[in-house]
Amino acid sequence: MTRLPPEIRPVLDNGTPAVMVTCSADGTPNTTVISQVYYVDETHAALSFQFFSKTIRNVRENPRAFVCVFDMAGQAHWALQLAFERSETEGPIFDAMEMQIEAIASMTGMSGIFKLRAADIYRVLSVEKVPHAD
Amino acid sequence: MDFIACDIVIPGKLVRFLEHHANVAFAGTRDSDLVPFGHRVSGWRVGADHRTITFLFPDEFRARLLESLQQNGALAVTLEEFPSHETYQFKGRFVRHREIQDADLENVDRIRQRFVKSLRPMYPHAPEDVLKRFVSPPSLAVDFEVLEIFLQTPGPGAGTRLVPPMDQ
Repeated sequence: MTRLPPEIRPVLDNGTPAVMVTCSADGTPNTTVISQVYYVDETHAALSFQFFSKTIRNVRENPRAFVCVFDMAGQAHWALQLAFERSETEGPIFDAMEMQIEAIASMTGMSGIFKLRAADIYRVLSVEKVPHAD
Repeated sequence: MDFIACDIVIPGKLVRFLEHHANVAFAGTRDSDLVPFGHRVSGWRVGADHRTITFLFPDEFRARLLESLQQNGALAVTLEEFPSHETYQFKGRFVRHREIQDADLENVDRIRQRFVKSLRPMYPHAPEDVLKRFVSPPSLAVDFEVLEIFLQTPGPGAGTRLVPPMDQ
């Protein structure tokens, strides 16, 4: 079972947008920027579901997802392979993500636009740190 | 994949966005098992015909990128202007790849400068080298035929297909 290493936690908390790639059942990839990757436990991460989007439709058709998290201070990025498990619209994970989304929206001038609809919970299949080349 | 068969030309407004404003990009591919994978993008240039874009990729995961593109040709690239968050996604087909040329290095350098300038207000004390390293040197150029363009700027219109228009 793949576990998220402790050193990724501050990267997930740094407020830098992440990028997510999904794929539809007919084989078309979709790439999108997401506001937040939330550490749930050693083997799970939650992604913010803010808009009714192709990403959401894709993971319901094909549960595999790729997420890239950027570590500006560490001059690297993290590549995560994930599998969608469930969606939560209430509870402690949703509440914590909603609070963080509001903070991010306030800092980036997106108040009133960023609104958490659900916390989508994914199992971590693999995680890799990729240093940036000179 | 089920792309609509018609002649796609990138509108002038989006050509100007790509050439003068976008400062960060990320590409998505998938393998034969429909497992998606992401790739950082170091640079881009719109083709003279306004139907293709050349994307410049760093060395990381190069073999995986080429294998997916040569196997199924599917590529999606999101380009954003940070910090305004104006964002578009381009979907289409792999055409060909080649090694990096001098003009590509100059292209990446221009985009790197644009990116660092946009980040500077958020990281006023960060060393220049740290910010510049975020845009890695290119290792591979990929020509890509644009088949669909979507609005991705955060908000209720995100996901709307712009080209071809939704009614086609």
